Amino acid sequence: MKNNDQRSSLFWLVVGLAIAFYSRKYNLGTLSSPGPGFLPFVSGAAMALLALVVFIQQIPKKRDTLKSLWAHKKWPAVPIVMASLIAYVVALGFLGFILDTFLLTAFLLRVMEPLSWNKVLAGAAGATIGSYAIFQLWLEAQLPSGILGF
Amino acid sequence: MLGFQVALQPANLFFCFMGVLIGTLVGVLPGLGPVAAMSLLLPTTFHLSPVAAVIMLSGIYYGAMYGGSTTSILVNIPGEAASVITCLDGYQMARRGRAGAALGIAAFGSFIAGTLSILGLMLLAPMLAEVALKFGPPEYFSLMLLGLVIVTFLAGSSMPKALMMAAFGLFLGLIGMDIMTATPRFTFDIYFLMDGVGLVPVVMGLFGISEVLLNLESKLEREIFETKIKGLLPNRQDWRDSAWPIVRGSVIGFFLGILPGGGAVISSFVSYGVEKKISTHPEKFGTGVIEGVAGPESANNAAAGGAFIPLLTLGIPANAVMAMLLGALTIYGMQPGPMLIKQHPDLFWGVVTSMYIGNIMLLVLNLPLIGVWVKILKIPYEYLFPLILLFCLIGAFSLNNSVGEIGLMLFFGAVGYLMKKFDYEAAPLVLAMVLGPMMENALRQSLIMANGSAAIFFTRPISLGVVLLVLALLILPMLPWVKKKREIIAEIVE
Repeated sequence: MKNNDQRSSLFWLVVGLAIAFYSRKYNLGTLSSPGPGFLPFVSGAAMALLALVVFIQQIPKKRDTLKSLWAHKKWPAVPIVMASLIAYVVALGFLGFILDTFLLTAFLLRVMEPLSWNKVLAGAAGATIGSYAIFQLWLEAQLPSGILGF
Repeated sequence: MLGFQVALQPANLFFCFMGVLIGTLVGVLPGLGPVAAMSLLLPTTFHLSPVAAVIMLSGIYYGAMYGGSTTSILVNIPGEAASVITCLDGYQMARRGRAGAALGIAAFGSFIAGTLSILGLMLLAPMLAEVALKFGPPEYFSLMLLGLVIVTFLAGSSMPKALMMAAFGLFLGLIGMDIMTATPRFTFDIYFLMDGVGLVPVVMGLFGISEVLLNLESKLEREIFETKIKGLLPNRQDWRDSAWPIVRGSVIGFFLGILPGGGAVISSFVSYGVEKKISTHPEKFGTGVIEGVAGPESANNAAAGGAFIPLLTLGIPANAVMAMLLGALTIYGMQPGPMLIKQHPDLFWGVVTSMYIGNIMLLVLNLPLIGVWVKILKIPYEYLFPLILLFCLIGAFSLNNSVGEIGLMLFFGAVGYLMKKFDYEAAPLVLAMVLGPMMENALRQSLIMANGSAAIFFTRPISLGVVLLVLALLILPMLPWVKKKREIIAEIVE
């Protein structure tokens, strides 16, 4: 594959075909009386067709590499932050909002630029208390409490 | 009178102020646009009355238009997309020691344009609502198709990629229970998906989480002008040079804002292009001429006002921001459309009047508080991003007290990040997601009316006119000179 547009268009081609194929499970109906599967089928088929158009349009274009998208970027930040957010979601019911939020905020404040521990702990505490006050006390959002009861 | 009675209630005044303040802040801070801010704050508005909620959310939108100019002029980084073009001349004016005049004319131009567009909204909306009562399902289907095609026409340089995202958004909007046949579609027996994919977590992910991830991997160098910003009031010559650009920008912005798929970004570009074309010194554009700030900044604010018209009168969102508002109104149990003005006059007139008041508040906020905004710009991103992420997480959870919503948001955060890396636009996806179910209903109703014949879209005059426009927009990008203009605009935006 020549460049990133071709690589991504192949991905969307597969997605589009999968959607169109799976849509047949629901009644497609007819052109004059479309069933529940009709528009999903049309959207999947359109995606696949457009992906093919993009793939073909890129044939005469310049080459580039997948690596070029992350050249000169601090790319480890992205998977690290995403992993921490996923961990937050998984631990939310167990640890409860207050503890989970404190740990997440402290981690995020420390991981990107190593701030001093005083600033990290103060920032994490401030963010946790502030968000608890706004969402739980003022807006009554019913944030989860964990095994420690808070 | 009803409008003032509603807008001047203390609670509504307070939320108008909060909306424009948050909107300005969002506009000032690069990385978090009005769509993401509205989606973050939407869950907090469930406790408010619908009128107060819409007043606040609307304030965020047009407030962001004001705030975006501050970073464009002082830092050469647009606070949000509609202020991209202001960087060209605004920043050059700042470099020549005229930051104050640039900021001042941007604020005054925005105020005048905002006021004019509200007048237009007041005059046109009730008239259009009356005309829209004659629209049937075929006209609605065609108009929604037009909106999708326009937004893909204007998005970036690759129309096939934008159309692909619209098709994907259409699919996402159809996930869940089909209301006509009660068939669960693409739910894979996940209870959570029975009601469909929520708009708010998707938007938070695509526009909020992904933007944070992109900012984290790039080190944004910001050179903020440290010199004291003086002379915020434009002088006589500035007013003489800016008066007609402000008027032209207001008209251009208002009418482009009404167009489904149009909006603040394209109106600012068109205004700049027009001012340069008719100027007696076009070679000076890009070196710091005040017309290059006055016109586009007026246009983007006027477009913000114009964009409310198709939403409030036809129930069709003109852009991703209006799609958010449509989602919000539906959650509050209101159906935007021709009957909205009749059924909920307090909402319509209250929102319109609060926009007047909001514009005055913005003028007052933006000029004296420039120093505060500059200080905020200097806050290191390392302190800001945990707060933005936290807000996203709690906001998503509080929609339904469900971690599933957070999971959905994070999924679309990753999708949005990759979309931006591979240069795919999110706006067509969001608009199509909102319009998808509405288009399906309109299509089915049209075919029922016509006993299964698709000719109904071509035999009804309004629908035919709109369909022909859609076809023209699909063919136009293939013309070489149109392709070149789109590529130039896409390069400037990047």
